[in-house]
Amino acid sequence: MAESAAAVDVAMSSLGPEARPRRSALWRFVRRKPLGAAGGLLMIVLALLALFAGVLATHNPVRTDSAHTLAPPSAEFWLGTDNLGRDVWSRVVHGSRISLLVGVTSTLLGAVVGGLVGLLSGYVGGKTDLLSQRVMDAMQALPVLVLALVMAAALGPSLTNAIIAISVPIIPRAARVIRASVLTIRELPYIEAARALGVRHGRIAFLHILPNTFGPFVVLITAQLGGAILVEAALSFLGLGIPEPYPSWGRMLSVAAAEYAQKAPWLVIWPGLAISLAVFGTNLLGDALRDTLDPRLRGV
Amino acid sequence: MPRPPLTVSLALAALALVLAAATLPAVGQTPKYGGVLATSPISAPPSLSPHEEATIAVVASASVCFNNLVYFDPQKKQESAATVVPELAERWSWQDGSRTLVFFLRKGVKWHDGKPFTSQDVKYTFDMVRGAPDAKGKLRVNPRKLWYENVEAIEAPDPYTVAFRLKRPQPALLLMLASGYSPVYPAHVPPAEFRTRCVGTGPFKLKDHRPGEYVEFVKNPDYFVKGRPYMDGVKVVFIKDRSTQIAALQAGQLDVAGSGWNKANAETAMKGAAGLVVIEADGGTNDNVLVNFKRPPFTDVRVRRALNLALDRAAYVKGPRQGGASLGGAMLPPPAGVWGLSPADLAKLPGTGDPTRQKTEAKRLLAEAGFGPAKPLKVAVSTRAVAIYVDTASWMVDQLQQVGIDATLEQIETGVWHPKMTRRDYQIALNVTGVGVDDPDANLVENFKCGSPRNYSDYCSEEIDRMIAEQSQMTDRAARLKLVNDIDRRLQLDGARPILGWGKQYYAMWPHVKNYVPHENSIYNNSRMQDIWLDKR
Repeated sequence: MAESAAAVDVAMSSLGPEARPRRSALWRFVRRKPLGAAGGLLMIVLALLALFAGVLATHNPVRTDSAHTLAPPSAEFWLGTDNLGRDVWSRVVHGSRISLLVGVTSTLLGAVVGGLVGLLSGYVGGKTDLLSQRVMDAMQALPVLVLALVMAAALGPSLTNAIIAISVPIIPRAARVIRASVLTIRELPYIEAARALGVRHGRIAFLHILPNTFGPFVVLITAQLGGAILVEAALSFLGLGIPEPYPSWGRMLSVAAAEYAQKAPWLVIWPGLAISLAVFGTNLLGDALRDTLDPRLRGV
Repeated sequence: MPRPPLTVSLALAALALVLAAATLPAVGQTPKYGGVLATSPISAPPSLSPHEEATIAVVASASVCFNNLVYFDPQKKQESAATVVPELAERWSWQDGSRTLVFFLRKGVKWHDGKPFTSQDVKYTFDMVRGAPDAKGKLRVNPRKLWYENVEAIEAPDPYTVAFRLKRPQPALLLMLASGYSPVYPAHVPPAEFRTRCVGTGPFKLKDHRPGEYVEFVKNPDYFVKGRPYMDGVKVVFIKDRSTQIAALQAGQLDVAGSGWNKANAETAMKGAAGLVVIEADGGTNDNVLVNFKRPPFTDVRVRRALNLALDRAAYVKGPRQGGASLGGAMLPPPAGVWGLSPADLAKLPGTGDPTRQKTEAKRLLAEAGFGPAKPLKVAVSTRAVAIYVDTASWMVDQLQQVGIDATLEQIETGVWHPKMTRRDYQIALNVTGVGVDDPDANLVENFKCGSPRNYSDYCSEEIDRMIAEQSQMTDRAARLKLVNDIDRRLQLDGARPILGWGKQYYAMWPHVKNYVPHENSIYNNSRMQDIWLDKR
C-alpha cells in the first residue's frame, strides 16, 4: 500500500507544471510586466540597503551630536541631522533593516499561520471549517491597524511584539485565500485518486494540496508586505513599535519630526520617501505577480 | 565652527527684540476693561482641585477661581520672601520667635455662592492639607502634606484671625502658603466637588466645565479687590498636541500659549505669525535622572558616580534642549533662582568638565565596580512617553552607551508613570520635576528627604536630613544660603538624583495681552490673572 502511494507521488510530481528554463520565465515576466519588475528591483535595492546598512551608513545611527543638531544636508551629513544631531542618512539606512525585518517576518508569520488554518479548515470542512471561519470573520471585522494597535498596546513596545502585533491581522486574510484554493484543489481528480489509493489525510493535505497553493501564497505575501511595512510605520509613529533610540522609518516621522518639520523638512521627507518607495515597490510587484500567477488573470 | 543659517539668526534676533519689548512695562497705558482671554495649559487637567493634584495643568486651569492667604506678586518676575503680597489675609505677623504665624483676614469677602469667608475656612483647609487628626475634610490624594509637617496646630480665635502654631521656627512656611498649590477652600463645600467644579473667592467664577475639552470662567463682580479683574472672562481650552496649540495661537483662537513648549516650538510659532510675542523664562523645571537606590548596582556609589560623569551637561543643553536650558544643581541656579549654586560651584560638579576625560573616568569607575566590555552593565532607562521626556532620554541612552553601558529605553504611558515611580518599579529613569516654590523647604524636603513619597530615588541620608531641618529654621539668609549650597553640592556628588539642567519655558502671546508676567523661578504661582487686561477695542 505504502509502495503504491509512493509511486503515485512520483507520477504526480513528474506530471507537474512543465519545467521551462528559469531565465526565460524571468525575462518573460520583465517584458510583460515592466512595472512589476521595477517594483521587484526597488525591493532588491531596499533589501541590499538593509543587508549592507553597516557599510553604507556614514555614522552610528543612535549617536547624538550636540554640535550639529538640525543640520541641513551637507557633505558630512548627506540627508541632514535630527533634533539630537543624529545622522538622518544613517538612520534611514538602518531603519530599512527594521522596516523590512518587521514587514517580512510578520507577513511570513501571518501567512504561514493563516495558511495552515486555511488548509485545515478547507480540507477538513464541516464543523471545523464553520467554526474556524467564524473566528476568522471576527478577526477580519476589525480594521488591520486597530487590531495591531490593540495587540501592540497590550504587549508593549518591542521588536518581537511589533512582529506579533502586525502578523495577527494577516492571519484571517491568509486563511481565506488558502482555504479558497484548497476547496478547489480538494475536488480535483488527482486528489480523489490519492484518496482512493488510501493515502493518509496528512499526506494529501501537505504533499498534494499545499504545494499547489504556492501561487496564491506568493501573491498573498507580496500583497500583504506593503501593508505590513505601513502598519509597522504607523505603530512606530504612535510610539508602539520599535522603542527609541533605534531608528525605524515610522518612528523617524513621529512627534519630534512633526514639530521640527517647518524648520527642518528633511526630517520628514526622507523617511516618508523610504516608506512610500517600499510600499510602492511591494504593491507593484504584488500586482504583477498576481496577474502572472492567477490562472484567471493569466493572459489578460 | 559653521555659521548658523540666516533664518536661525533672524529668528534669534527677532526673539531678542521681542524679549526686550515684552519685558518693558506698559508705560502710560491705561488698562482697558472687557474681553475674554483664551489660553491652553500643557494638558487637560485631571481635575480642578489644586490640593489633590500635582500638575501645572490644574493650577493653570483653576487658579483664577481661588485666592490664597498670601500670594507671590504676579507682577514681579522672581519669587522670594520679599515678593509675598496679601490676598485673603490683609497682613500677617510672626510671633513667639518665628514659632507662630498669625494672619489677619479681610472682612466682607464672599464665596462665589454668597456665603461669607471666615477664619474657619482657613483652618478647615489647612487642617485638611496637613492631615490633622481632627480635620473636618479629607483629600483623596494629598501630594503636599509634607509642606505642613511642621505645623502643630491651627487656631481661629475669631472670624478674622488665624494662627499657625509651629513645632519649630520655619520662616519659609509663608512661601509655601503663597504657592498656587495653596488656595483656601470653603468649609461648606465637600472637597470631592472641586474635582469637577469650583467655589472660590477668586477674580473669576466658574461658568462651564467640560472635562477634557475646556473650562470657562466669568468675571466675579463681587471680587474684593476693587477694580479687578479687568477681563470679562477666561476660557481655558485643552489642546493636547503642541503643533495644534501653535496653529490655534497663530489663528488667533488662543491669546496665550506655551506651557510645555521648547525653544523650537516658540520659533515655529513666531515664524508663522507676525507680531506674536515670545517671552523666555526659567520657570524652575529641571530634567533629572532617577536612580533606584534600592536596586543593585546603583547601591554602589562608584556606579552612581560613573553614571553622573557619563552625562555631558553641555551636550544636554545644546542637544535635547536646543540651547533652551541652563546648568544647575538641585536648587534653581541664579540669577533666576534664589538658592542655587554659583557658576563657579557648578563647574566643579560631575558631568560639567571635559567630556572625554569625564567619560574615561566613568569607564574606570565602572571597571572598578566590575563592569566592562566583557560584562557590560545592562540598564533600562524608563521615561514618560511624552516628546520632551523621550528626546532627553534618547540622548541619555546614547551617552550611557558611550561609556560601555548597555542602555535601552523603556517608554511609559503618562497614566502609569507616576504610580510606577511611586512603587519604585524602575532601574533608572529620566524625569522632569517642576518646583512648586523656589525654596529648599519645598524642593529639598519633597525630593530628597528620607521617606518622602516624591523622593522617587529613595535616596536617604541622615546627615542630609539633619542639614535640611537645620536650614529650615535659619532666619539669616546668607547663612542659610551657605548651608543650602553645601547640601546641594553633597547631593550632586552623591549622585542622589543627578540634575541634567533646568529647562527654560517659552510663553507665546499676542501683543494685546498686557500685564502677563511669567515668573522666573516657578511656573505654578502666577495664574490668578486678575491684573491681565486685553488691549482690544
